[in-house]
Amino acid sequence: MNRMIALLRREFWENKGAIRTTPIVIGGIYIVFLLMSIFTTAHYDSELYTFREAVRVLANQSSEFRGMVMYQGMLGSSVFFTVVMGFVIFFYLLGSLYDDRKDRSILFWKSLPASDTLTLASKLITAMVVIPTFFVLILVITHIIMAIIGSAMILSVDGNPWTLFLGVANPLKAWVMIAASWYAHSIWALPMYGWLMLVSAFAPRVPLLFATLPPLVFAVLQTWIEFLRTFTLKSNIVGVVGEWMVNSPAILTAEVHDGTGKIALGVPLTEEFDHAVSLANMLDRLFSVQMLAGLAVAAVFLAAALWLRHRATES
Amino acid sequence: MNPIISARGLTKRYGRTVAVDHIDLNIPPGRIVGLIGPNGAGKTTALKAILGLLTFDGELSVLGKNPARDRAVLMEDVCFIADVAVLPRWIRVWQLIDLTEQLHPRFSRDKCLEYLADTKVTLEHKVKQLSKGMVAQLHLALVMAIDATLLVLDEPTLGLDIIYRKQFYTNLLNDYFDEQRTILITTHQVEEIEHILTDLIFIQDGKIVLDSTMDEVQERYVELMVVPDKAVQARGLSPMYERELFGRHIFLYDGADTEQLAVLGELHTPSVADLFVATMKGATTKGGAA
Repeated sequence: MNRMIALLRREFWENKGAIRTTPIVIGGIYIVFLLMSIFTTAHYDSELYTFREAVRVLANQSSEFRGMVMYQGMLGSSVFFTVVMGFVIFFYLLGSLYDDRKDRSILFWKSLPASDTLTLASKLITAMVVIPTFFVLILVITHIIMAIIGSAMILSVDGNPWTLFLGVANPLKAWVMIAASWYAHSIWALPMYGWLMLVSAFAPRVPLLFATLPPLVFAVLQTWIEFLRTFTLKSNIVGVVGEWMVNSPAILTAEVHDGTGKIALGVPLTEEFDHAVSLANMLDRLFSVQMLAGLAVAAVFLAAALWLRHRATES
Repeated sequence: MNPIISARGLTKRYGRTVAVDHIDLNIPPGRIVGLIGPNGAGKTTALKAILGLLTFDGELSVLGKNPARDRAVLMEDVCFIADVAVLPRWIRVWQLIDLTEQLHPRFSRDKCLEYLADTKVTLEHKVKQLSKGMVAQLHLALVMAIDATLLVLDEPTLGLDIIYRKQFYTNLLNDYFDEQRTILITTHQVEEIEHILTDLIFIQDGKIVLDSTMDEVQERYVELMVVPDKAVQARGLSPMYERELFGRHIFLYDGADTEQLAVLGELHTPSVADLFVATMKGATTKGGAA
């Protein structure tokens, strides 16, 4: 256990920029945009007349409606975090078993009494648990800072931030939902994580190309052959990967239609799963046949990555 | 006493090339063994097999364990410095010490800090900010602070200047080595380590061509320096190697009668470097004739 913690700390130290600084920058962008909009309002809105009006109109709405807007707004604000986190994890895993082979420090890491299995596990846990946890914590802090700024703004026009939005919101539920959707996505994404680690253990250079080119070439060939045989475009790798992303348990879609928000798990294009944001719908995905197939694929990729890691010092 | 390393028929093939060819080894505790060989002789491959960094054929046991299978457990008692440039460049010194402390059951932070106090390395330094010599000092401080049974050094001083090289071996000998520990070193700078070795192993084309203690080496090999007119006579006593230096002929004999040789000229104990050249060239000549 101590060894696992030591290895997790090592991953954090090496990737501090990606794991900690990136979400802080996104949170910072949110706050800066909020402040910019406040200053713009203050500049053009004489004596904040319009803002006062907006607060008044909002106060006349039902508390259920205001609570719903807050809840949907908080869920929606996580989408940008989710997308950037996807990139962070993608590049983290792509380098996870490649960087130390490239700079030869693998000889140092292998001189420590930590098995290859433990090392590989520490990298997978970093991708699945550590990175989402950092993103959740910083998202929560961002929400709190934004709430404080918003409250100050409302207080300045003699409004009551508590009755207006703080009291009716259910931030805990929103945070639990976001965190749960990210951890659920970590499990859902295991086949891709396994593939990235396999490429990272295997690629002689430019792992990015090795990760993207083979599936791309394969997909083109498959689509072409399929088309020649059936004159239809179905069930090829593009479809499989596309469907897999669309069905993800992460909160990926935030739209506003006629004044009401529509926040969804994945992208609401398929009928197989319910896309409404709820824990039950996340669990429904994790206990599906698709997930089982995904876990089998992930197991093969990860076993191959471990095998390659074991032999990484052969030549 | 149980040997630290024992190998029988240790073999490593890369496709058709045989890097290590049926090696037998037996290294007891408390020795400093020099593994010497030309480039591509299989030194590093043999060391990697011992460290569990590659798969092999034949039998190999290090501290009673199979390194290919039990690397992680073995590394609690074995330390190695592969060469100067393998410490991760992004890491800070304090992080490296923290990590080693948490992973190694027999690491002493105090000892490590004590060794580092004599250097210019500080805890806040990143490895990439350190000079090559300082990285070597840091790595040696880490390794010496681990109470290990076997220390493997593969070209540990490559690319260091002479001051760092001397200091490296002095520290190793004064502060680290004792009867319980075994050190296995490969290097091209044979002159620098010959006075600290207790055992000598020559390896050529994946095979061991010499394996003996330094005492045996000194008893067995003798160098004879003669003036040119005695050269024919000396050549008749089947030397293993002959070279010329400032008009004098120097012959190297394996197990010759020293009294018989003393009549012809001056006798010396050959340096390891000369013995190495003689063994390698001699073997090549024999190979060529066959």
